[in-house]
Amino acid sequence: MSQWLEQVIDAAQISDYLAPVRQQALEKLKADGWPARRNESWRFTPLTPVEKREAKQAVQTESLPIPAIDNLNAIDLVFVDGVLVTQINTLDVPAGMSITSLNNDDAATQQAISSVYGQVKPTRHMFGLVNDALCQHGIFINVEADAKIDTPVRIVNMTSQDVDAHTRVVVKLAEGARATVIEQGFGDTESLTTAFAEYDLADDAHLEHYRFAMFTGKAKQLGGSHFKLHNRTTLNSTMVGYGSELSRLDVDIHHAGEFADAKMNAIYLLAEGELFDLHSTIEHAMPNGTTEENARGIVGDKARAVFNGRIHIHRDAQKTLAELNNRNLLLSRRGVINTKPELEIYADDVKCAHGATVAEIEEEALYYLLTRGVSRSKALVMLNFGFIQELINDVPNTAVREWLAPILSERFAQMEVK
Amino acid sequence: MLSIKNLHASVEEKNIIKGLNLEVKPGEVHAIMGPNGAGKSTLGYVLSGREGYEVSDGEVSLNGKDLLELEVEERAREGLFLAFQYPVEIPGVSNMEFMKESVNAMREQRGEEPLTAAEFLKKAKEACKQVQLPLDFLKRGVNEGFSGGEKKRNEIMQMILLEPKLCILDESDSGLDVDALQVVADGVNSQRDGERSFIVVTHYQRLLDYIKPDFVHILADGKIVKSGDASLALEVEKSGYAFLGKAYEEAEA
Repeated sequence: MSQWLEQVIDAAQISDYLAPVRQQALEKLKADGWPARRNESWRFTPLTPVEKREAKQAVQTESLPIPAIDNLNAIDLVFVDGVLVTQINTLDVPAGMSITSLNNDDAATQQAISSVYGQVKPTRHMFGLVNDALCQHGIFINVEADAKIDTPVRIVNMTSQDVDAHTRVVVKLAEGARATVIEQGFGDTESLTTAFAEYDLADDAHLEHYRFAMFTGKAKQLGGSHFKLHNRTTLNSTMVGYGSELSRLDVDIHHAGEFADAKMNAIYLLAEGELFDLHSTIEHAMPNGTTEENARGIVGDKARAVFNGRIHIHRDAQKTLAELNNRNLLLSRRGVINTKPELEIYADDVKCAHGATVAEIEEEALYYLLTRGVSRSKALVMLNFGFIQELINDVPNTAVREWLAPILSERFAQMEVK
Repeated sequence: MLSIKNLHASVEEKNIIKGLNLEVKPGEVHAIMGPNGAGKSTLGYVLSGREGYEVSDGEVSLNGKDLLELEVEERAREGLFLAFQYPVEIPGVSNMEFMKESVNAMREQRGEEPLTAAEFLKKAKEACKQVQLPLDFLKRGVNEGFSGGEKKRNEIMQMILLEPKLCILDESDSGLDVDALQVVADGVNSQRDGERSFIVVTHYQRLLDYIKPDFVHILADGKIVKSGDASLALEVEKSGYAFLGKAYEEAEA
């Protein structure tokens, strides 16, 4: 057992309406213990930076400047060092949507939250269980049936000092509702963030989702976004991962209804000694669902990328269309990419494809561009950024797309090629 | 313009250039001929700074600058242009995007403002017409699916757009029919302005009927073994490299 996990278990003493879920999570944490080194889920992502850590409390700090996404007019909800600093009651929320704290006294709201909290996210995620047990700061976003909310909700998680931050987002879209949610996390100082989000998306609902996991340096993040889709639900998700000492995202998409459509694009750009690990699991439990998942990344210097993409097609999920692809560019001999696409199919009338590639810089093409006076960094962007740019071009929100394109190409241009 | 003194260079520890001397003055056209394996293409790669081509001795200066100290892209910005024998295909990067970046890198070097997309397009269309390439080539991937002749014309188009000081044409005539050869030669001749210099590497005298050289050099076994005027090329055409005697046999071996 790790010191950190022991302290986490000892500290968990929250008695509120979520106590039954919290208690179950604690029981499972105690029963499972700390993952062994050979544990498949953590095989390429050592947990040593957490194992011997002192568990810490979230602390109220001064609010920090929030990085802007130019031209994005969003409702911002901000957690700093694990504490929700936004005054929710001062927000201007469009009709059909409500935003409340997880700490609230309204019985109906509590019931709605309880129907999602710990119910969408599978219990196999250890840090998800920690979050279940410890999370005190969280928000609940509820969108009424057929409400079409154009204004995106942006949830920002920032860490500035030596803390453990456990934050939670619970989202419920009723039948035919539409909404856009952006989860953005960043920090580079010593800290640990578990930020989990659960989305329960009813029949005919549409969610446009973003997760920007931009923690770097010593900011450890262990988070996840988890989705439950019903009949004809559509999900369009874009994720961006930077790497840090330890950075892991778990994504689950559960097709619990027919004709649901999930599209997920993920980009990771890793430099120096950064690590980023993306584990995704798509469960096709019902027929006629579609999934398209594209994960693409560039790994430079001594960075490490881990990708594990699993698609599980249950016996009844006939006529499923599922595609999963992971493409990587390795810039350096010291960089490491561990990629594992997995298809598990129990239905006999489905169309599925999966693939993974790791490419290296094409020296001859690079030389050709250089002989025409193009700078090395620009030539590398021209030659190698195209497959990332394709996913950026795919971002549905214009402001987000125009914000991402330059920051990602800049990050790539600064990555060391050796 | 270009001064090469006692150049020695190797590839994968094999000596290819073995004491080469060459002086090119502004406005001159020098043809370099020679048997296979003499080091003709290697010379172009060494001058452009290709990785893996190691210079072990000698000096090269371009307009007074020590060329060997510069990175590949810096050499290009100093005005060195190499037209490739086998231009690389780069799917996913459009000719247009590539050439605009390249032209503006040259302009920056000269202290000029970058061209706008519209200004560049106008210039690119003119250059495209000059080498008789259809305009949709600008939108296509760099050399992607181009025929051998189209690739060579694309190289000349780049040369026209980049306005270099010294052009090295590495077998720009190989694989061309007479009409294409004429287009390439016209493109080159249009760029002769009394200042710009050319090194024309070729196997055949034929190209030199179209691009008149001031000097012809025979490169064999990594050295220039004979220099003369245009008549030397005719001599090679007539009697081959037999006059090289022993040196030639070694180079072929």
